[in-house]
Parts: sequence; C-alpha cells; structure tokens
Amino acid sequence: MNTSRPARVVLQATGLVKRYGHVTALDGADFELRSGEILAVIGDNGAGKSTLVKALSGALRPDAGEIALDGRRAHFRSPLDARRAGIETLHQDLAVAPALTIAENLYLGRELRRAGFAGRVLRMLDKRRMRDESAARMAELQVGIPSMTQPVETLSGGQRQCVAVARAATFATHVVIMDEPTAALGVKESAMVLDLIRRVRDRGLAVVLISHNMPHVFEVADRIHVARLGRRCAVLNPKKTAMRDAVAVMTGALPPERIPAECVA
Amino acid sequence: MNPRSVPWAQLGPLLALLFASGFFAATTEHFFSGPNLSLILQQVTVVGVIAIGQTLVILTAGIDLSCGMVMALGGIVMTKLAVEAGLPAPLAVLAGVAVTTLFGLANGLLVTRVRLPAFIVTLGTYNIAFAVTQLYSGSQTVTDLPAALTALGNTFTLGGTEVAFGTVLMLGLYALAWFVLRETAAGRHVYAVGNNAEAARLVGIPVQRVLLAAYALAGALYGIASLLSVARTGVGDPNAGQTENLEAITAVVLGGTSLFGGRGVVVGSLLGALVVGVFRNGLTLMGVSSVYQVLVTGILVIVAVAVDQLSRRASQ
Repeated sequence: MNTSRPARVVLQATGLVKRYGHVTALDGADFELRSGEILAVIGDNGAGKSTLVKALSGALRPDAGEIALDGRRAHFRSPLDARRAGIETLHQDLAVAPALTIAENLYLGRELRRAGFAGRVLRMLDKRRMRDESAARMAELQVGIPSMTQPVETLSGGQRQCVAVARAATFATHVVIMDEPTAALGVKESAMVLDLIRRVRDRGLAVVLISHNMPHVFEVADRIHVARLGRRCAVLNPKKTAMRDAVAVMTGALPPERIPAECVA
Repeated sequence: MNPRSVPWAQLGPLLALLFASGFFAATTEHFFSGPNLSLILQQVTVVGVIAIGQTLVILTAGIDLSCGMVMALGGIVMTKLAVEAGLPAPLAVLAGVAVTTLFGLANGLLVTRVRLPAFIVTLGTYNIAFAVTQLYSGSQTVTDLPAALTALGNTFTLGGTEVAFGTVLMLGLYALAWFVLRETAAGRHVYAVGNNAEAARLVGIPVQRVLLAAYALAGALYGIASLLSVARTGVGDPNAGQTENLEAITAVVLGGTSLFGGRGVVVGSLLGALVVGVFRNGLTLMGVSSVYQVLVTGILVIVAVAVDQLSRRASQ
C-alpha cells in the first residue's frame, strides 16, 4: 500500500527464540505487520517461517522474545488466546469439515444460539441467523456461492478455501494468518482465492501470507518478509524487486547487505 | 432435482424397510396386522435404544463393539440388586445404568487418553463385560423380579392396538437424540469431530471431551436398553445381548450412518433397527429357523457397509 502516512504497526515481534533440543528454529527473529497490508512470509524449508507463524498464532510459546499486538505486549498460551485477541489463523488443508454445510463451517465452534427459552434452556441453534449472516459475509467478500446450506464437499477446492478464508475474515478483528492457502489449487482457483485475500485486506485487516509460490507472493503482497536461518533476513518491496533476487536472498546467494536500497521495504 | 441433493443415505433404509415389509406382507398371512406390527416395535426396542448410543459413537468415527455385552451386564446388576440385595427397584435400575455408563466412560478414556483404537478397546471391554456378567451371576438367570422392573413391558391400548411403554420410551429417546444432534451446538460438534477432528480442534472444539461424552452417553443408553430387555424377557439373563451386539451395529449402518464418521441421521438407525426386526419377525412367521435369521443379519450388515463404502468412493 503506497499511502504517504506511515501505517500503524498491528503485530510486532522482537528477538523471538525457539529451540527444539539442539535445533534452533528461531534465532532472534523480528517481525512487523502493518495495518491494511498483505505481508508475505517466504523462506526455504527450515528457515523458521512455520515456527514464527506458530508463535504469532499462539500454537507454540517462544523461549525468548516479545510479541506485541496493537502496541501492547501479548502472551498467547494457546491458539484460543490469539483468536480471542483478534488473530485468526487459516491452517493448510485442515480448515473445513466437508460433510457440514457452509453456514455450519463458518460458525463451527462459535455457533449462535437462539434468544430466550429455546436458546438458554433448550440450547437451540439459531440456524436461520447463521445462514443469513453467512450469506451476508459471502456477499460482502464477493464469494459467489449461492446456497449456505450445501455441504462444503460439494464445492470445488477453490470455493472450499474461500469458505475457510471468509471464516477467518469474519471473526478476525486484527490479523488473518494464512498458511499456504493456494497450495493445492489450480490456476483459476488460485486467482479466485488471491482476489479474496485482497478484498480481506481492503476491508482493513492485516494479512500474513505464508507461501512457497513466488508468482502468487508477487501478485498480492505489499511487502515480503524473508526468513532465513531462524531470523528475518530482509523485508523486500515486491514492486521494486525481481523475483529471482527475492529467491537469491532467500537461499543466501544474495547477502542482505548487498540488496539494493530501493528493493528494501 | 439435482441428483446429488437426493438424500440417498436416508431414503435407502426407508426403501429397504418398505421392500422387506412388502415381501413379508405378500408371503405371510399375519404380517400386516396391528398386533404383529406392535410386536415388531416391541421386539426392536432393545436393539433400537442400543443403536442410539452406537450412532453417537459411530458419528464420531469410532465404534463400540461392547454394546450388547455391557447391556447384558446392566440387566444382571439391576435384577440381582433388586432380587438378592433387596434394593428398591429405582435404585437397582440406577445402579445398573451407572455400571453401563462407567463401562462407556472407560471405553472413552481408553480411546481419548491412552489413544487406543476404538475397535480394539471395545473388543476388550466386550470380553470383560461378558466375563463379569457370567462371574457376577454365576451364569444363573435371575428370576422372581419385582413388578417395577418389568413395568416397561406393560402395554396400553391405542386405537385398538396394544402399545408397550418400552416402545414409547424408545421413540422418546430417538426424538431427544434427533433434537440434540440436529439443533444444538453439542450435536453439531459430534459431526464435526467425526468428519474432521483436526479442523474441529483448530476451531476450538474440545475434541477429547466430545469423544468422552459420546462413549459415556452410549453406555448410559445401553443401561436403559438393559431395563427394556429385562422388562421384555421378565428375567435377568446373563446370556442376553449376544445377538443385539451385531444387530445394533447393523441397524446403525443400515440406517445410513457412515462408519467413517461425521455423516448420518439418528432416525435412520431406527429405520435400520426396524429392517432388522422385520426380517426376524417375517422369517419367524414363515417358519424359518432362527439360525437363518442370524445368517440374514450377517448378510445385511455386509451389504450396508458395502453400500456405505461404494457411495463414499463414488462421491470422491
């Protein structure tokens, strides 16, 4: 996003360390996510990107370092903690229950109950409201799915992923973290999901996109965080950086100090 | 109508029930009489109630092979406590249900905490429950039951046909299970856990607690089935539950609930139980020996599982 005033920092991490026995997955990693941006996180296998994302989403607790959400220190003891703080995470491949309907998937684990006796005593679900709200969210995000009562398994892979993204976007108040959301999708389906990710950003949420797919990263990212050897090795501007240079930074062929100044974001 | 939206899983058991009923109505004289239909309903109460518990477990992608044996143990506990220890009937019944619930809880704990496969755990508790039943009863049938223990076998007249209170209890339990599974978050969580346990965990559903509750509730339902069985036979029978074990699983699978979990409707299990009951009743009316009824149950369960498997493959 090329706005003149500096964007607010939503989620920040400084000096994160995580060790597994003799293996150091995070070695003093820093991270900074600004409001209304898509920040891609790239890195070779073992660069520490998935450990970093797990720390940010509350799936693991770092051994050292600090995480701050909206300027306040945050201690996430579980993914639930992070979610309550407004960070939704979309995990690779595991996001939906295929036999349940779209509306049920959207509200899975946060079902709405009816008001009064039916809800409080009989604990009845408010299916109509969940259906209507789901339809409204889908319309808002321009996901073209006609019926909220069809099972998710009747959808294409791309549409399923859109349901998962829409769920994250519906409940996130600050940040949506997406782990390889286009990994299993074809060209057209990927384009559909990438469009949706842009619309999520345009609604004011900050998006973290973990991806191996360089064309996808360069298509949607506002900034690119390059993880290497357990640290943040650079933050690149995709508008000014060539894809092959980003890969060179990622693999270590291009040392951070030799990155041209205009490429740094 | 879009062929995908036809609910074959629910229509299948209904068609099977109509087909079986039609067959026996055409080949036997008394099949479609009020008393005989009422008798079929009474005959399926025990299997029907066990099948509710079994449905809960199978929906979570588990299985409970111990159901019939646990039911038999519950019956022996109730009758022995009432007859030999002189416990008032309601307390004896509660004790029996408590024992079957504890067995269910043990199954659930072994599946969730020790992370053993449900198949092996419940095969183990099947044998344990059987042995405990035999040891506790000395393999002796308990007779001379107080009237309160067999009250569910009593009947009232409805439109000229005798209806057993046990039948009403079974139908009530089905309505309750249907409501909870369909209309409450807890019910939808059962489906989510069976359908994609990892996705359920990631959205914050307490997967272990859902599983534990399913097995424990199933145990409690087997306890209610014990009471129905005692009421129907009028004795505490240590050899009860041997045909019910497979029949209950057959009923659930015939009813369209997938053994892979997460798909199915509890009312289907009632239809499945009725199919099993109609076959037993019809074959009896035709004068076919009971060994063939066991044979037919065996064939039915394999056919039902094959249909489940094939329809799953077709949808992928």
